[in-house]
Order: sequence, then structure tokens, then C-alpha cells
Amino acid sequence: MTNTLHRQGRPDDLKGDFVIFAHTAKGINREGSGPKIQEFMRICLRHNPVNIGDAKQGNIHQDDIDIHQLISRQGDGSAAAAVFTDLDTLEKVIRDLMEADLGICINVSGLLDEVRACCRKLGIERHSVEHSLGFWGAKDRLPERHILEIHTMCGHGMVSFNLIRKMIEQVKLRRLTPKKAAKILAKCCECGAFNPRRAELLLERFRKGLT
Amino acid sequence: MKIDKKKCVGCGNCHAVCTMGVIYLDEDGKSVVNEEECVECRTCYRVLRNEGYRPWFVRAIRRVLKAFRLAYLAEPDVCPTGALTPQELEWPRIIRATFSDPSTVHEGTGVHGRGTDEIKSNDVTGRLRTGDVGFVVELGRPGIGARFRDIEKVAMRMASLGVEFERENPVTQLMEDPGIGKIREDVLGEKVLSAIIELKTKLDRIPAVLRALEDVQGEVDTVISVGIASRCLPDGSVPHEEWVREAGYSLSPNGKTNLGLGRPLFQEE
Repeated sequence: MTNTLHRQGRPDDLKGDFVIFAHTAKGINREGSGPKIQEFMRICLRHNPVNIGDAKQGNIHQDDIDIHQLISRQGDGSAAAAVFTDLDTLEKVIRDLMEADLGICINVSGLLDEVRACCRKLGIERHSVEHSLGFWGAKDRLPERHILEIHTMCGHGMVSFNLIRKMIEQVKLRRLTPKKAAKILAKCCECGAFNPRRAELLLERFRKGLT
Repeated sequence: MKIDKKKCVGCGNCHAVCTMGVIYLDEDGKSVVNEEECVECRTCYRVLRNEGYRPWFVRAIRRVLKAFRLAYLAEPDVCPTGALTPQELEWPRIIRATFSDPSTVHEGTGVHGRGTDEIKSNDVTGRLRTGDVGFVVELGRPGIGARFRDIEKVAMRMASLGVEFERENPVTQLMEDPGIGKIREDVLGEKVLSAIIELKTKLDRIPAVLRALEDVQGEVDTVISVGIASRCLPDGSVPHEEWVREAGYSLSPNGKTNLGLGRPLFQEE
């Protein structure tokens, strides 16, 4: 899936938004990958991600999710993702993953130059790269830029435009704090790629009418 | 998705959560799903916690509050009475859930929902090799949804360029003839949250693919998110960057990086 490819935002915002995820290929490294994916999750968890989850089971911001139980139930080919808000932590996570030598495919979504520099510091050269070429087609059907900044943090499209508008309104009316509203938005994103910390900062800004 | 009218108290929480914005209040004050436009993503059912209140109790409270010109304000992430009711889906409607609900695993690809492998496992599959470029053309994203009738228009335009569609992709698997991009007739009217046409060709075909996308984008009533990928050169540079810029397009500063940690690493001959 391309669920983390089209995240929108100013470069300053994107500096606090890195998603790392594990993937496997059928017939190559998917079979027997369950324990390796579990280890990937445990390594990410040690570095305190702002979100972590699995598309089938949900993420840590959802009701009744126990992350340790979630990890124990992960099997071969589970989709695993974690979100970090700074490059230093991301670097530590990658270093730990390299030492663990899990053999599963590891990808990072984020500012490409920053991720490349991070790889080089760790002595590796990136293997493949994917860029977004933006939105095409009936763009007149899209909402305002600031709504898209939050919406695109869940590439599966689980965070509706209307819920974002509602959360902004609730924050403006002080019925919800930006943190609580961001958590509700994060609940919608099934795989854990949504960045609630970034959403919280954006909502704080939107509260004051800054978009 | 259906809403059990015997249980619904018309709080409206599901209206905002609906990814397609197709739940509304009926004349009887209960919510209803416009099933023609619903993509069966089940976000409303998953996100709104069932508070388990009895409907008569919530309705009584609402009536009392209304008498005093006060509003009933449920927490935004609950369904007070558990009125949302997922349905058993049959072909072809089930295709909506397969593409729209990321918690389902597609039988043909083994990947969750509409997902595809693209570069995520390129270090072990070698799907994109030196000189290749991959495109992911996702219709319906962000947040609008797409019908297969529109997806077919784009697929057929791409096919006319002689590109190679990814076989392990949910859209390709719905094609009657991948040679022309024709999608099977019985799903053309179905609506999904989004669907990804995934193809590869040679780097020098980048301008032709982009021109074709320019042509066809006006023929569809939805949005398209476009991605482009290639295997890096030994120094880490990205071969498609120059081609895209020369064709007059700009690339995002952010994107996806495969770190090359998968094993066994694919070796090009």
C-alpha cells in the first residue's frame, strides 16, 4: 500500500513525522516472519513511539488495545508500523534493527534527505525510493490544505474530513483539548501510521485560526 | 453497514466519523446510511465504542433536556446504544470492503486491504531493477472514493502505453484482460475508498506516462494520488528524479525509503 507516501505539510512539520514499518514478500521472507515482526515491534516500543500498531489488530490509541498482547498475536506477514517524531530516535531504532538483523524488509517514510543522511550515518546506502507526485484529477473536490495535512497522516483514508472539522471545532470551543482530539483522530487509523503528536500541534495552531 | 433504527438515538456521531460522509439523519430522527455511496470500510463500527445504553433511556434523557432547551452531548467517539450493524456482504459488494477496510487481507495478494508491495520489499524481490520505474496511481485518495468505472478508464489509458501491470495487485486481479486494462463488468459500478493501479515500465517512458495521466485525469470524477519509485544507484541517488524534473513536474520532499535490510537480498545479474 502507499499509505504513508502522500503526507502533506510544511517541511518544518514533516521534520517531526517519521514512520518506520516492516514488510515481507510472499515466498521469500514472509514465511516464518512472525517472530521477526514481533521483535521489530519490541525494538520500536523500546524507543517510545507516538504511535505503533498493526493493520489487522489496530493501534495503541484504540480502546482496549494492549500492545504486548497485540505483539504476541502477530503472525507471518503482519503489517507493523511505528511513528517517531525526531531523527535522532529514528536513527537509534534503525541501529537496533540493523544489529538484530531480522531479515525482514524495513522502510521509512519521511523527509527523504533526512532519512538518507540518517542511513549514511549508520553506514548504509538506501535501496529504493518512492516520491509522491501529488494529487491529480478532480482536485476541486478536495477540502482545505490544513484538513489534508491531518487527513493524509492516515493514508488508508480512515480519518474523515468531517471528523477533522468536528475536532477542530471542539478544540476551538474547549470541549476537547488538542491532545484528546488528536487521540480520537488516531483511533480511526487502523495501522498505527497516524502521528497524534503532530496532529496535536496542528490542532493547537488551528484553534487560534492559524492554518 | 446498516444502522439499527430500533437502537439509534440520532446522536450523529457516526455522521462525522464516516469516511465518505454518507450517513445522515432520516425524517424519523434516526441515522441512516446511503448504501449506494457507502464503501464498507467499517470505520464507524470500529471507532465508535458501544456504550451499551438502552435506547429508551437515552431518548428519554434527550427529550427532558430538549424541554429545557439543552443539548445531549455524547462523547464524539461513542455510539451510545451500539446501533451500527455490519452486514454479511456478497459479491460484488464485498469488493468494497476488500479495498476499503485495511483490516481485511486480500486473498490474492496476502496484503492487507488495497495494499500492494511496490518498493516495500524491492530489496528482496527485485521487482524494480536498474532502468525500471514503478508508478502507483491511486484513485479516490485522499478521502473522495472511486468507482471501478473510473479506475478502468485510467487503467486502459496506461495499458495503451504498453506498461506492465503488477500481477500481485488487487486491481490487476480484477482485470479481464491486463493487456488492455479492461476490468470485469460486474464490479464497474462498485465504489471503494481508493484503489491502486500499480505498473512498471522503463525510465525513458516516464514523460509518456505523465502525459497520459495528464490526458486522462479530466475524464474521472475523483482525485488521483500518484507515486513514482525506482531502485537507487550504488551511490544512493534516485534515477527517476532527473526524468521527472525534465518532464516539468516536481517531486515531494518526503517519501518512502526502503533501507535494504531484507534478506536474502535480491542480486541483479
